[in-house]
Amino acid sequence: MNLLNISCKKATYLVSKKEQGKIRLFDRLTLQIHLGICSLCKRFEQQSGFMIKNTKHTHTDEKLSEEVKERIKEVLDSSY
Amino acid sequence: MNKPSLQAEEWVEKYSDLLYNYTLQRVSDKGLAEDIVQETFLSAWKSRETYKSDASEKTWLFAICKNKIIDHYRKKSSSPVQYAEVDTTDHFFDEAEHWTKEAQPNEWGINYQQPVETKEFYSILAYCKKKMQDMQRNVFVMKYMEDLSAEEICKVLNISSSNYWVIIHRAKLQLRKCLELNWINS
Repeated sequence: MNLLNISCKKATYLVSKKEQGKIRLFDRLTLQIHLGICSLCKRFEQQSGFMIKNTKHTHTDEKLSEEVKERIKEVLDSSY
Repeated sequence: MNKPSLQAEEWVEKYSDLLYNYTLQRVSDKGLAEDIVQETFLSAWKSRETYKSDASEKTWLFAICKNKIIDHYRKKSSSPVQYAEVDTTDHFFDEAEHWTKEAQPNEWGINYQQPVETKEFYSILAYCKKKMQDMQRNVFVMKYMEDLSAEEICKVLNISSSNYWVIIHRAKLQLRKCLELNWINS
Protein backbone atom coordinates (compact mmCIF):
# COMPACT_ATOMS: atom_id res chain seq x y z
CA MET A 1 0.00 0.00 0.00
CA ASN A 2 1.26 3.37 -0.91
CA LEU A 3 1.11 5.66 2.10
CA LEU A 4 1.13 8.73 -0.06
CA ASN A 5 -1.92 7.62 -1.95
CA ILE A 6 -5.17 8.90 -0.45
CA SER A 7 -8.78 8.54 -1.55
CA CYS A 8 -11.07 11.32 -2.79
CA LYS A 9 -13.10 11.06 0.40
CA LYS A 10 -10.03 11.60 2.49
CA ALA A 11 -8.72 14.36 0.22
CA THR A 12 -11.93 16.38 0.40
CA TYR A 13 -11.95 15.91 4.16
CA LEU A 14 -8.42 17.28 4.34
CA VAL A 15 -9.33 20.29 2.18
CA SER A 16 -11.26 21.80 5.11
CA LYS A 17 -8.40 21.12 7.50
CA LYS A 18 -6.05 22.89 5.13
CA GLU A 19 -8.41 25.85 4.76
CA GLN A 20 -8.54 26.25 8.51
CA GLY A 21 -4.80 25.86 8.93
CA LYS A 22 -5.19 22.69 10.96
CA ILE A 23 -3.53 20.18 8.65
CA ARG A 24 -0.53 18.11 9.68
CA LEU A 25 2.58 18.30 7.54
CA PHE A 26 2.25 14.74 6.31
CA ASP A 27 -1.41 15.19 5.40
CA ARG A 28 -0.60 18.39 3.59
CA LEU A 29 1.88 16.49 1.47
CA THR A 30 -0.49 13.66 0.59
CA LEU A 31 -3.26 16.16 -0.18
CA GLN A 32 -0.97 18.10 -2.47
CA ILE A 33 -0.06 14.96 -4.34
CA HIS A 34 -3.70 13.96 -4.68
CA LEU A 35 -4.82 17.39 -5.88
CA GLY A 36 -2.03 17.30 -8.45
CA ILE A 37 -3.49 14.24 -10.12
CA CYS A 38 -7.22 14.42 -9.35
CA SER A 39 -9.07 17.13 -11.23
CA LEU A 40 -12.36 16.42 -9.43
CA CYS A 41 -10.89 17.03 -5.99
CA LYS A 42 -9.02 20.05 -7.29
CA ARG A 43 -12.35 21.39 -8.47
CA PHE A 44 -13.90 20.60 -5.09
CA GLU A 45 -11.19 22.64 -3.43
CA GLN A 46 -11.92 25.63 -5.67
CA GLN A 47 -15.66 25.37 -5.10
CA SER A 48 -15.15 24.98 -1.38
CA GLY A 49 -13.15 28.19 -1.33
CA PHE A 50 -15.87 29.87 -3.33
CA MET A 51 -18.57 28.73 -0.88
CA ILE A 52 -16.65 29.98 2.13
CA LYS A 53 -16.13 33.39 0.59
CA ASN A 54 -19.70 33.78 -0.56
CA THR A 55 -21.63 32.51 2.44
CA LYS A 56 -20.23 35.11 4.77
CA HIS A 57 -22.04 38.17 3.53
CA THR A 58 -25.37 36.88 2.43
CA HIS A 59 -28.20 39.24 2.03
CA THR A 60 -31.90 38.56 2.28
CA ASP A 61 -34.77 40.94 2.32
CA GLU A 62 -37.32 39.41 4.64
CA LYS A 63 -39.63 41.49 6.75
CA LEU A 64 -40.72 40.73 10.25
CA SER A 65 -44.50 40.78 10.34
CA GLU A 66 -46.22 43.79 11.91
CA GLU A 67 -47.87 41.41 14.32
CA VAL A 68 -44.55 40.24 15.72
CA LYS A 69 -43.22 43.78 15.85
CA GLU A 70 -46.20 44.86 17.92
CA ARG A 71 -45.78 41.87 20.19
CA ILE A 72 -42.13 42.76 20.81
CA LYS A 73 -43.02 46.39 21.56
CA GLU A 74 -45.58 45.23 24.08
CA VAL A 75 -43.10 42.89 25.74
CA LEU A 76 -40.59 45.70 26.04
CA ASP A 77 -43.15 48.12 27.39
CA SER A 78 -44.41 45.71 29.97
CA SER A 79 -40.91 44.90 31.20
CA TYR A 80 -40.17 48.54 31.85
CA MET B 1 -35.36 62.13 27.21
CA ASN B 2 -37.64 59.88 25.23
CA LYS B 3 -40.50 58.20 26.90
CA PRO B 4 -39.58 54.54 27.32
CA SER B 5 -42.37 53.32 25.12
CA LEU B 6 -41.22 55.64 22.39
CA GLN B 7 -37.68 54.34 22.60
CA ALA B 8 -38.88 50.76 22.43
CA GLU B 9 -40.95 51.58 19.41
CA GLU B 10 -38.05 53.30 17.73
CA TRP B 11 -35.74 50.37 18.35
CA VAL B 12 -38.14 47.84 16.93
CA GLU B 13 -38.86 49.93 13.85
CA LYS B 14 -35.21 50.60 13.22
CA TYR B 15 -33.59 47.25 13.90
CA SER B 16 -36.09 44.41 13.91
CA ASP B 17 -35.96 43.62 10.18
CA LEU B 18 -32.15 43.76 10.18
CA LEU B 19 -31.92 41.43 13.16
CA TYR B 20 -34.55 39.15 11.69
CA ASN B 21 -32.67 38.73 8.40
CA TYR B 22 -29.43 38.15 10.26
CA THR B 23 -31.04 35.46 12.41
CA LEU B 24 -32.95 33.84 9.60
CA GLN B 25 -29.68 33.12 7.83
CA ARG B 26 -28.45 31.29 10.89
CA VAL B 27 -31.35 29.20 12.13
CA SER B 28 -33.72 26.90 10.35
CA ASP B 29 -37.17 28.39 10.77
CA LYS B 30 -39.03 31.66 10.93
CA GLY B 31 -40.77 31.14 14.26
CA LEU B 32 -37.47 30.45 15.93
CA ALA B 33 -35.90 33.51 14.30
CA GLU B 34 -38.79 35.65 15.57
CA ASP B 35 -38.27 34.37 19.11
CA ILE B 36 -34.56 35.05 18.98
CA VAL B 37 -35.17 38.60 17.78
CA GLN B 38 -37.63 39.16 20.60
CA GLU B 39 -35.19 37.78 23.18
CA THR B 40 -32.47 40.00 21.76
CA PHE B 41 -34.58 43.12 22.21
CA LEU B 42 -35.63 42.06 25.66
CA SER B 43 -32.07 41.46 26.87
CA ALA B 44 -30.93 44.71 25.33
CA TRP B 45 -33.86 46.53 26.87
CA LYS B 46 -33.13 45.21 30.33
CA SER B 47 -29.48 46.14 30.15
CA ARG B 48 -29.85 49.43 28.32
CA GLU B 49 -28.66 51.33 31.40
CA THR B 50 -25.33 49.54 31.33
CA TYR B 51 -24.83 49.97 27.62
CA LYS B 52 -21.79 52.09 26.94
CA SER B 53 -21.89 54.25 23.90
CA ASP B 54 -18.39 53.40 22.70
CA ALA B 55 -19.95 50.83 20.42
CA SER B 56 -22.84 51.80 18.20
CA GLU B 57 -26.30 50.78 19.24
CA LYS B 58 -26.53 48.60 16.16
CA THR B 59 -23.25 46.78 16.85
CA TRP B 60 -24.35 46.21 20.42
CA LEU B 61 -27.70 44.73 19.39
CA PHE B 62 -26.08 42.44 16.84
CA ALA B 63 -23.58 41.20 19.43
CA ILE B 64 -26.47 40.30 21.72
CA CYS B 65 -28.28 38.61 18.87
CA LYS B 66 -25.22 36.58 17.93
CA ASN B 67 -24.95 35.34 21.51
CA LYS B 68 -28.61 34.40 21.54
CA ILE B 69 -28.13 32.33 18.39
CA ILE B 70 -25.10 30.54 19.83
CA ASP B 71 -27.05 29.96 23.05
CA HIS B 72 -29.73 28.33 20.97
CA TYR B 73 -27.19 25.97 19.36
CA ARG B 74 -25.79 25.17 22.80
CA LYS B 75 -29.17 24.43 24.31
CA LYS B 76 -30.12 22.26 21.42
CA SER B 77 -27.00 20.12 21.64
CA SER B 78 -27.28 19.66 25.39
CA SER B 79 -30.93 18.71 25.38
CA PRO B 80 -31.69 15.11 26.37
CA VAL B 81 -32.94 14.40 22.88
CA GLN B 82 -29.67 14.70 21.05
CA TYR B 83 -30.02 15.49 17.44
CA ALA B 84 -28.23 12.73 15.67
CA GLU B 85 -26.32 13.50 12.57
CA VAL B 86 -27.01 11.07 9.77
CA ASP B 87 -24.53 10.64 6.99
CA THR B 88 -26.36 11.81 3.93
CA THR B 89 -23.18 11.93 1.88
CA ASP B 90 -22.44 8.23 2.07
CA HIS B 91 -23.38 7.69 -1.56
CA PHE B 92 -21.08 10.50 -2.70
CA PHE B 93 -18.17 8.05 -2.76
CA ASP B 94 -17.88 4.47 -3.93
CA GLU B 95 -16.29 1.56 -2.11
CA ALA B 96 -12.83 2.70 -3.03
CA GLU B 97 -13.81 6.16 -1.69
CA HIS B 98 -13.66 7.76 -5.09
CA TRP B 99 -16.35 10.13 -6.33
CA THR B 100 -19.46 8.49 -7.68
CA LYS B 101 -20.69 9.79 -11.00
CA GLU B 102 -23.80 11.43 -9.54
CA ALA B 103 -21.92 13.28 -6.84
CA GLN B 104 -18.71 14.32 -8.52
CA PRO B 105 -18.07 18.06 -8.82
CA ASN B 106 -18.85 19.38 -12.24
CA GLU B 107 -17.35 22.48 -13.73
CA TRP B 108 -19.41 25.52 -12.71
CA GLY B 109 -18.19 27.76 -15.47
CA ILE B 110 -17.75 30.74 -13.19
CA ASN B 111 -14.80 32.67 -11.87
CA TYR B 112 -14.38 31.18 -8.40
CA GLN B 113 -12.46 34.23 -7.23
CA GLN B 114 -15.20 36.65 -8.09
CA PRO B 115 -17.87 37.28 -5.45
CA VAL B 116 -21.46 36.58 -6.43
CA GLU B 117 -23.93 39.11 -5.14
CA THR B 118 -27.11 38.27 -6.94
CA LYS B 119 -30.49 37.83 -5.29
CA GLU B 120 -30.86 34.50 -7.04
CA PHE B 121 -27.68 33.16 -5.48
CA TYR B 122 -28.65 34.32 -2.00
CA SER B 123 -32.06 32.74 -2.18
CA ILE B 124 -30.67 29.42 -3.43
CA LEU B 125 -28.02 29.53 -0.74
CA ALA B 126 -30.73 30.09 1.87
CA TYR B 127 -32.67 27.15 0.45
CA CYS B 128 -29.62 24.90 0.55
CA LYS B 129 -28.75 25.87 4.11
CA LYS B 130 -32.29 25.11 5.13
CA LYS B 131 -31.97 21.66 3.61
CA MET B 132 -28.87 20.87 5.62
CA GLN B 133 -29.22 18.84 8.78
CA ASP B 134 -29.35 20.93 11.95
CA MET B 135 -25.95 19.86 13.18
CA GLN B 136 -24.31 20.48 9.82
CA ARG B 137 -25.91 23.88 9.47
CA ASN B 138 -25.01 24.94 12.99
CA VAL B 139 -21.38 23.98 12.58
CA PHE B 140 -21.26 25.57 9.15
CA VAL B 141 -22.79 28.84 10.35
CA MET B 142 -20.58 29.11 13.41
CA LYS B 143 -17.46 28.45 11.38
CA TYR B 144 -18.05 30.27 8.14
CA MET B 145 -20.46 33.02 9.13
CA GLU B 146 -19.46 33.72 12.72
CA ASP B 147 -15.77 32.90 12.45
CA LEU B 148 -15.69 30.89 15.66
CA SER B 149 -12.67 28.65 16.19
CA ALA B 150 -12.99 24.89 15.91
CA GLU B 151 -12.32 24.64 19.66
CA GLU B 152 -15.12 27.07 20.53
CA ILE B 153 -17.57 25.25 18.28
CA CYS B 154 -16.75 21.88 19.83
CA LYS B 155 -17.33 23.38 23.26
CA VAL B 156 -20.66 24.96 22.36
CA LEU B 157 -21.97 21.83 20.68
CA ASN B 158 -20.28 19.42 23.03
CA ILE B 159 -18.69 17.41 20.24
CA SER B 160 -15.21 15.99 19.75
CA SER B 161 -12.70 17.48 17.39
CA SER B 162 -12.87 14.50 15.02
CA ASN B 163 -16.64 14.79 15.03
CA TYR B 164 -16.29 18.44 14.09
CA TRP B 165 -14.17 17.68 11.03
CA VAL B 166 -16.52 14.97 9.85
CA ILE B 167 -19.48 17.33 10.11
CA ILE B 168 -17.66 20.16 8.30
CA HIS B 169 -16.77 17.71 5.55
CA ARG B 170 -20.35 16.50 5.11
CA ALA B 171 -21.79 19.99 5.32
CA LYS B 172 -19.54 21.14 2.48
CA LEU B 173 -20.25 18.10 0.30
CA GLN B 174 -23.96 18.63 0.84
CA LEU B 175 -23.95 22.36 0.20
CA ARG B 176 -21.75 22.04 -2.86
CA LYS B 177 -24.05 19.47 -4.40
CA CYS B 178 -27.15 21.52 -3.64
CA LEU B 179 -25.69 24.68 -5.16
CA GLU B 180 -24.65 22.78 -8.26
CA LEU B 181 -28.10 21.29 -8.71
CA ASN B 182 -30.14 24.39 -8.03
CA TRP B 183 -27.96 27.29 -8.99
CA ILE B 184 -25.58 26.11 -11.70
CA ASN B 185 -27.81 23.60 -13.43
CA SER B 186 -30.98 25.64 -13.23
